[in-house]
Amino acid sequence: MTLTSLSIKNIGHNWLRTILTVVGTAIAILSFVLIRTTLSAWEAGVDNAAQDRLSTIHRVTFVMPLPKRYFDEFNGARGRIDGVDVATFVNWVGHKHPVRETEFFATLAVDTATYFDVYPEMSVAPDRLAAWKENRQGAIIGEALAKQFGWSLGDEVTLLGTIYPGDWKYRIEGIYVATKKSVDRAQFLTHWSYLNDSLPEGQRDMIGWVASTVTDASRAADISAAIDTKFDDQDVQTRTMSEKALTMEFLGGASAILGALDIVSLVIMGIMMLILGNTIAMGVRERTHEYGVLLALGFRPKHIATFVVGEGLTIGLLGGGLGLLISYPLVEQGMGRWLEENMGAYFPYFSIPTSVAALALGMAVVLAGVAALVPAYSASKLDVITALRRIG
Amino acid sequence: MNEDTAAASAAQSRVGKKPDTSEPTVTAKRAPIIVCRKIVRSFWRAKERLDVLDELDLDIPEGSFEALMGPSGSGKTTLLNLIAGLDRPTAGTLTVAGTEVSAMGDAALAKWRSQTIGFVFQHFNLIPVLTALENVELPLLLTSLGSSERKKRAQIALRVVGLEDRMHHRPQQLSGGQEQRVGIARAIVHDPRIIVADEPTGELDRKSADDVLTLLERLNKEFDKTILMVTHDPAAAERATVVRKLDKGKLL
Repeated sequence: MTLTSLSIKNIGHNWLRTILTVVGTAIAILSFVLIRTTLSAWEAGVDNAAQDRLSTIHRVTFVMPLPKRYFDEFNGARGRIDGVDVATFVNWVGHKHPVRETEFFATLAVDTATYFDVYPEMSVAPDRLAAWKENRQGAIIGEALAKQFGWSLGDEVTLLGTIYPGDWKYRIEGIYVATKKSVDRAQFLTHWSYLNDSLPEGQRDMIGWVASTVTDASRAADISAAIDTKFDDQDVQTRTMSEKALTMEFLGGASAILGALDIVSLVIMGIMMLILGNTIAMGVRERTHEYGVLLALGFRPKHIATFVVGEGLTIGLLGGGLGLLISYPLVEQGMGRWLEENMGAYFPYFSIPTSVAALALGMAVVLAGVAALVPAYSASKLDVITALRRIG
Repeated sequence: MNEDTAAASAAQSRVGKKPDTSEPTVTAKRAPIIVCRKIVRSFWRAKERLDVLDELDLDIPEGSFEALMGPSGSGKTTLLNLIAGLDRPTAGTLTVAGTEVSAMGDAALAKWRSQTIGFVFQHFNLIPVLTALENVELPLLLTSLGSSERKKRAQIALRVVGLEDRMHHRPQQLSGGQEQRVGIARAIVHDPRIIVADEPTGELDRKSADDVLTLLERLNKEFDKTILMVTHDPAAAERATVVRKLDKGKLL
């Protein structure tokens, strides 16, 4: 036996209370990990955005369209912008599943010739890519979306139009897989030309935004400025930004929710600390007589304080460890997989980051230690005779 | 040589002392190990001063087994606490085992206690989450002894009190008498010169009480421990070599 093992053994004084406290701590850690993983997954798109990819949108808002001819001035038929390597364009279509309308996924009408050149992290078999390009009503979908709705190659799919009303018929020609975790694995990619040709004359030849890669990421700011300057004196002005900035703008509306979640996760840890502090304080009160005995035997107040803090750290470590032990299978195997498969548009990659796991365990131990400080101080101030007289 | 004697010899040789079983009582002829001079211990109740010990003088020779008796509130436990270094006198000087404890600071007093005093409590006061062996080992955690040596000494102490076969039992698995014997093993494991016992038989039946008192007698006679025992029990006091009576803070 050592002073450390004696400190650890102290958690056995009241097993029921210790177990309940450890379980309570574990639940708090589980909640913390879930919230932090959600935030991390939500922000994965920002964190993992390509450094060399720019997005050009309408100067007012990305909801407003740009003329298709703008794209031709990037590196197409009408001209070239210095520093731009490859460019493509995208239009937000906003289709829905005709039956499962509430299950969101992104439907994009894209330029089939260039889209996968600009987004190489979306990998599709060459023969399927060729088949898609050949079929104006062809669609390439993400693997998560295929799993979500049970779609497979060759399936005829009818989607419900929202921005562009009507029933839209497609044939699944390919399924892409993501090679980076930031990629939405639940997109539905269609031909822009099919959409454009289906629209009334007055609505044609408009695109949502232009995405372009640059030859030198360190010049991204200069190239962005050059793009916007190019369209300054035209009928529609543009705003060009990095993909990261655009993603942040998309998430901007959710920032308040994210901030609130962030605070909630800290509040949970605060509550956990108070519960631990109360439990440890109860233990100290009940064991006042025992501490009196130890003091009589020659143990010093610093020993008593160390025992109390050690007990807190042990409970924190057990609770934190148990919390992570529960979190991993729940998130990695259960909830995370479900979210990726069913809400891939929001959470393309839902997995516990190592930093979150380390932070959770570290906070459990540190906060438990902090929670034990006041009871430890009280215990260290006990008068030996008073403590020996105290029963129960 | 029976097992207990062997254990006793082992314990004695470890601490460098020779057992003396031939001399039953040597108290009166030896130098005092506890010297109290005009000891006063006062407490304040509201604004009223209460002198629990009133200019008390006391000499206790080394190697004696003394019982301290008196009615409740007479100052027995207060005197015991002072001698054990748990408390300090309001006035007077108190010298125990050659050290003036009345002048010591908290840290020095705690260290002195851990080396000089063995405690036997009325309610045994064993730590419930520890085994008998671990409870006995507790005072040795404050020494520089290694783990295996601590364990060996704790085993010897348990052998001395006849509980070697219960060393892995927790307090709740022991009878009251056994718990008190573990308490006594804890009191002697670090080889203190003085054992203070506050009502050591107060929680025990007659048979267990007799066993505990016999053990204390052995520690006094065979191991030359000075024992100061507070008791209300006349039968327990009879086992001591000297019985002192205290009333209203003064020795009678």
